[in-house]
Amino acid sequence: MNRDVLVIGGGIAGIQASLDLGEMGFQVHLVERLPSIGGKMAQLDKTFPTNDCAL
Amino acid sequence: MDVGRHPNIRLLAYSEVEKVEGEVGDFRVTVRKKARYVDESKCTGCGACAEKCPTVTSDAYNLGLGKAKAIYKYFAQGIPSAYTIDPTVCRNFQPGKKCGVCSKVCQAGAVDYKMEEKIVELEVGAIVVATGYDLFDARKIPEYGYGRLPNVVTALEFERFLSASGPTHGHVYRLTDLAVMETLPEVKKNQQKAAKGLERYEKHFALASDAFYTQYETGELQDDDHHKWAEQYKVYRVATEKLEALQAKVDRIHGAHRLAFIQCVGSRDIRFNKYCSGFCCMHAIKEAIIGLEHDREAEVYIFGMDIRAVGKNFEEYRNRGANEAGIKFIRSRVAEIIEDKDHGPILVYEDTKERQVRQLPVDLVILATACQPSEGVTKLADTLGIQTNEFGFIDTASYLPLDTSRPGVFVCGCAQSPMDIPESVAQASSAAAMAAQVLSGSETERLAS
Repeated sequence: MNRDVLVIGGGIAGIQASLDLGEMGFQVHLVERLPSIGGKMAQLDKTFPTNDCAL
Repeated sequence: MDVGRHPNIRLLAYSEVEKVEGEVGDFRVTVRKKARYVDESKCTGCGACAEKCPTVTSDAYNLGLGKAKAIYKYFAQGIPSAYTIDPTVCRNFQPGKKCGVCSKVCQAGAVDYKMEEKIVELEVGAIVVATGYDLFDARKIPEYGYGRLPNVVTALEFERFLSASGPTHGHVYRLTDLAVMETLPEVKKNQQKAAKGLERYEKHFALASDAFYTQYETGELQDDDHHKWAEQYKVYRVATEKLEALQAKVDRIHGAHRLAFIQCVGSRDIRFNKYCSGFCCMHAIKEAIIGLEHDREAEVYIFGMDIRAVGKNFEEYRNRGANEAGIKFIRSRVAEIIEDKDHGPILVYEDTKERQVRQLPVDLVILATACQPSEGVTKLADTLGIQTNEFGFIDTASYLPLDTSRPGVFVCGCAQSPMDIPESVAQASSAAAMAAQVLSGSETERLAS
C-alpha cells in the first residue's frame, strides 16, 4: 500500500486536508494551479460570523 | 499557514495534474510544474526584482483593481514566498525586446529566463480533490451593467476595497472617483516639470515669471529668449490650471456612502444556476457590517428575495447587522440598474412589501455573484476519471458526500457544491480521514470483502 497522498487544490479545503493528512504521518503532495496557495479565502478581508481576519 | 513548513507536505505550486493511472492504493500521477522563471529554492522573496521591474500590469490577486509588475508575488503573504515572472507581459519574453533588470538586481541569483516546465511523477494511494469554485460572470446579466457601469462591482472586488492590504487600503470609493484620483500624480508631475522649466529663465534674468509675463504682454522684453520664456510660461499656466481644477474635483470626492448589495446574481435564477450559492447572503451581511464599521455615516441596503442565514450564529449575525449596524433589508429582486450623469448607479426595483416600483440612487452597487464549478474542473474530472453532476460540480451520492465515482478519489469543499468556510474545513477533515482509511489499508480490505 502506497502511503503517499495527492491533494489537488490549495484553497482552504485543500490546505486543511493536507495538514490533517500530514499530521497523521502520511506524505502529502499538494498541487496548486496558481503561484501561491490560499485560494479564494486569501482574498477575503474578514470572515463571518465573527469578523475574524481571514489570513 | 503551516503548509509551507510541514515536513510531510510537499508543495507543488504553479502546477497542474496531467494524467492519472492505476487504481485505489496505487495511483500513478503525472504533474506538470509550470515554469516560474524564478528558482523557488533560491528566491528569498525580498521583492527587489518587482521594485525595479519596468513593466506594470494589472494585479490578479486584487482582481485587476490594483497594479502589479511582470515579476510578481501573487499576494504579500503568499506561500511559497517565491516570485513568478508572467511571460505574457515580461519584456524579456516579447520578440525582439530585452530587459533583464530583475536578474541583475536579484542577489540570490534566482531569476532564470530559460527555466522550462517540469514533469513530476508521483505514486500515491489516494487522491483528495479540493479545486474550489469560480464566480459567476455578472456580464451575463446585462441589466445590472457590470463591466459597463463603472460603479457596479462584485462582492469579491468589494472585499478587496475593504481590506487594509487592498488597492484602496480599506477606504471605499466609487470606481469613477478612484480613476480621477489616480490621474492626480501625473498631472502634478507635469505641472512641476513646467514650473522647473521656468527656473532657468528666472535665474538668468533675475526676474519672477509672473512679473516678466506682465511686461512681455505690454510689448517689452522681446528677445528670442524672452519669446521662449513666454511660451514656457503659457505651458506652465495651462498645467497649473489643469492641476487646480483636478485638485478641486478631488477635494470634492467623498467615500462611497450609499451602498446597495444585490443578492442571487446568477444563483436561484433559472437562466443560469438554479441552485442557491449558500454563502452569499452572509457574505453580503459581513461586507455591509464591515463597511458600516469603516464609515458610520454609510447607508447600506441589501436587496434579496430572502436572507438565508443557516449556520451557527448566522441568524444572530443577520439581526446584529439590522439592529446594531443599521443595514436595511429590502425584499426585492432588482430589475435594472441605470446611472445618472455623474455615473451614480440608480436601482430600479419593486418593493414587494409596499407593492411599489421604486428607484434608489446609490454610490456603489455590490453584486453577490454565484458560486460555480471552477473552469478547469471538467477537464480534471476527465483526467481523474470521475463524474460531474448536472451543474458541473464533482458528483457524489446523497449519503456519501465525500466519495467520487472512483474508489480512492475523494472530494471536499466547493468542488462538491457551494459551501462556506466552516463547512469546507469540516468536509476537508472528513475527506482527509477517508483518504487515511485507504492509505492504512482498511478501505481496500472493505472493498475487497
